[in-house]
Amino acid sequence: MRRFSFAKLTMTLVFSILAGSAGAAVDIGKPAPAFAGVGADGRPVALADYKGKTVILEWTNHDCPFVKKHYESGNIPNLQKDAAAQGIVWLQVISSAPGKQGYVDGATARQLNERRGASPAGTVLDPDGKIGRLYDARTTPHLYIIDPSGALTYKGGIDSIRSAKQEDIAKADNYIRLALADIAAARPIGQNNTQPYGCTVKYAD
Amino acid sequence: MRAVFLTLLLLASAGLSPLALAQPVEAARAQTPHVQAQLLADVSAVRPGGEIWLGVAQKIIPGWHIYWKNPGDSGLPPTITWSSVPTGTHVGPLQWPTPGRFSMGPVTNYGYGGEVVLLAAARLPNDLSPGERITLGADVEWLVCEEECIPERVKLSLSLPVQTASAPGEDAAAITAARAKLPSEAPWPARFQREGGQVRLHLESAAFQQTPPRAVWFYPEAWGHIDHSGAQFFRVDERGLTITLPASEAASPDALGGVLVIERDGDAPRGFSIVATQTPVAATVSSAADVLLAMLMALAGGLLLNLMPCVFPVLSIKALSLLQHGGGRAARLNGLVYLAGVLASFVFLAGLLWLFRVGGENLGWGFQFQSPLFVGVMAALMFAVGLNLSGVFEIGLGATGMGDTLARRAGLTGSFFTGVLAVAVATPCTAPFMGAAIGYALAQPAPILLAVFLALGLGFALPYLALSFWPSLHRRLPRPGAWMVVLRQALAFPMYGATVWLVWVLARQGGPESVLRVSSVLLLLALAAWIYGKSAQAARAPRRLGAGAALFAILAGGFILASPGEAVDAATRHWEPYRPERLETLLQADKPVFVNLTADWCITCLANERVALDRAEVKDLLRRKGITYLKGDWTNQDADISALLAQNGRNGVPLYLFYPRGNSAPMRVLPQILTATLLVEAFSAVPDAVSPSHP
Repeated sequence: MRRFSFAKLTMTLVFSILAGSAGAAVDIGKPAPAFAGVGADGRPVALADYKGKTVILEWTNHDCPFVKKHYESGNIPNLQKDAAAQGIVWLQVISSAPGKQGYVDGATARQLNERRGASPAGTVLDPDGKIGRLYDARTTPHLYIIDPSGALTYKGGIDSIRSAKQEDIAKADNYIRLALADIAAARPIGQNNTQPYGCTVKYAD
Repeated sequence: MRAVFLTLLLLASAGLSPLALAQPVEAARAQTPHVQAQLLADVSAVRPGGEIWLGVAQKIIPGWHIYWKNPGDSGLPPTITWSSVPTGTHVGPLQWPTPGRFSMGPVTNYGYGGEVVLLAAARLPNDLSPGERITLGADVEWLVCEEECIPERVKLSLSLPVQTASAPGEDAAAITAARAKLPSEAPWPARFQREGGQVRLHLESAAFQQTPPRAVWFYPEAWGHIDHSGAQFFRVDERGLTITLPASEAASPDALGGVLVIERDGDAPRGFSIVATQTPVAATVSSAADVLLAMLMALAGGLLLNLMPCVFPVLSIKALSLLQHGGGRAARLNGLVYLAGVLASFVFLAGLLWLFRVGGENLGWGFQFQSPLFVGVMAALMFAVGLNLSGVFEIGLGATGMGDTLARRAGLTGSFFTGVLAVAVATPCTAPFMGAAIGYALAQPAPILLAVFLALGLGFALPYLALSFWPSLHRRLPRPGAWMVVLRQALAFPMYGATVWLVWVLARQGGPESVLRVSSVLLLLALAAWIYGKSAQAARAPRRLGAGAALFAILAGGFILASPGEAVDAATRHWEPYRPERLETLLQADKPVFVNLTADWCITCLANERVALDRAEVKDLLRRKGITYLKGDWTNQDADISALLAQNGRNGVPLYLFYPRGNSAPMRVLPQILTATLLVEAFSAVPDAVSPSHP
């Protein structure tokens, strides 16, 4: 009996070391990196503000052809509306550095959304790329979903067909749409780590 | 242009009607703001059932690029849709020339700049009739990027006459040239193994050692297998080429496919397509010969460790205790117990390293010195041994000297802990052979890891063991006498020296605050030792009191030591701190870089800096040649440095890497013992920097 519990203890120890080891900051099932920044409305915004809610982060750059594909087709604006209806907080993040494609001030970011019929819960301005690098965001769009406990539950692309053509949207598996359905049904997200595609995030050099 | 003209000429000479000439032959070429595209065929006339090569040539404006089939972190591969070909034509999959890579910030892409031809082989149907014309049409889409990306799309078509025999076309040369740029089938067996955060790709061939590559890069053909942006390192040995790749966190595939680009001196880069199979863990266990070799190297490394500067104080203890014990059976026993102490310590370290490796931690040799607490305890221990040697106190002895049994027991316990102590102090010094052996062992299953560490311990204990076993060696040692007390007291000073060194290490780790703290501990320790030493000679009651007071002093010291300090960093330096991104940027720019991985607790490292790296002529050369000196300080645990060490098959410092010309020339690992001459020789190979900022 005693030996058994010793073995169990050892196993527990080893597994707890294993579990805590994977290293990278943005792993599925791990706490999503905390960040704080300034929103397009000029107010501070932090991930911690949304504890208890599901949060979707969307890296964006309005001039990127891939972003245009998903905004002009209405795909992302629709997803934003549906997410909001589900009580999910959708945050755009703009990591373009000043002088680079996609860099905008808060007022412009808001105008752009208005013009595109987009209704995210907020837009985080990240001109120094800190939040982007924290999440290892590489493309626009690049999406992350964080569950109410603060754990990362999705990272990757918006859908399964990597192209800049609007006509492909209907044919693709829309990973975010699928994730929203999983969340609504209180299921774990099925495809939770997919290949992001799009333009390179225009980070500061 | 010539091709079109020639096509026209051929068509005309083939006696075709003017109507045929009115076909849109111009559509074989198209121009967008960034790319000039042209549809090529290697023939000017086709035959029924013939096989031809088709190509889409893209001439991209300078600074812009398009993508490979795996575009890397972002981007999109071009697509070609064969929109109009004769019914029954079979067009094979696109064949991609060997790619290059483009990095922007943390993002890396694979693709092509300048001119590129994407190829496809096609087989025409048998039911074509000579005299008719066929049209080959392609919709080509691509994403072309500089910093910003533009999707572009063109339609190209080519019209070719059908004849009884095919005729070579003007584009045949371009197609042949393009085919030469396709990666060739790799002639070597390839396998890979995922280990923690790394994928190790191994190509088996002794040929690599005969003509070692200058540079190597592996382009995975699918997303999610390796991190595209991470550094890749390669190593050549008699078994072949091993490339260490950063794994991406996605699940490991059964097969790893991609293109390996190898550059050799005086040769253009060549691409090889590779499909590596994952070898099951059992098959990765090295051959007995490998294990034996590693053990032999470890043995030699252990022996050498005795000569390393950090072991010197302990060597002196060993010599002293040997003299104390005299010769014969007692000496042999002491020798064996010392060996046991050494081995037990190495087993402990092996176990610890194994446990951390299982846990995915990136630790290496000497890691324990990264803990300020450990360094503090070691400083206190060294100091206590020094006090003991000075005669401030004796361990376990009555006032009137030693009984025979007691002496032997104290001696044996002492020998064991001398062994433990020797290992603890020796760890920061990676003897040259040892680095390789430990690097190897850490990548092996636990039994081999243990075997190598035991060999290391045996080598380390061997000199002392030999002394205690061979009377002939013994007779060369002087006879015991009063001089031994003098020697013993003299040998206290190396211990004090070691204490001073460790306090300095602690100062670097924990700042001035920690010096005060550890000095207070040493003061209390000295007090405790003195009280203990004095009271040991007294009657029973004061002795107890003395022991109590000593214990209290030690506890107080421990309490002071255990409270953590804060790190500080130096202000002035002629080097830059090592950061992986910085190294990557410099390498991408083909700049010469020297990397020094060091730690304050590594005496070999410090000696190298003193005698070689910080010498005026070396500093001057570094500046003149425009060599960036990156220094990775491993005094405190640092994942990035551990990773760089691991990528070079090392687990300890020092490690010196020299990149004479960034990524475009092979990296050299410099020896672990540096001299100024050696550095001057290495650095002189770099041309003088002609930078206006460094006149």
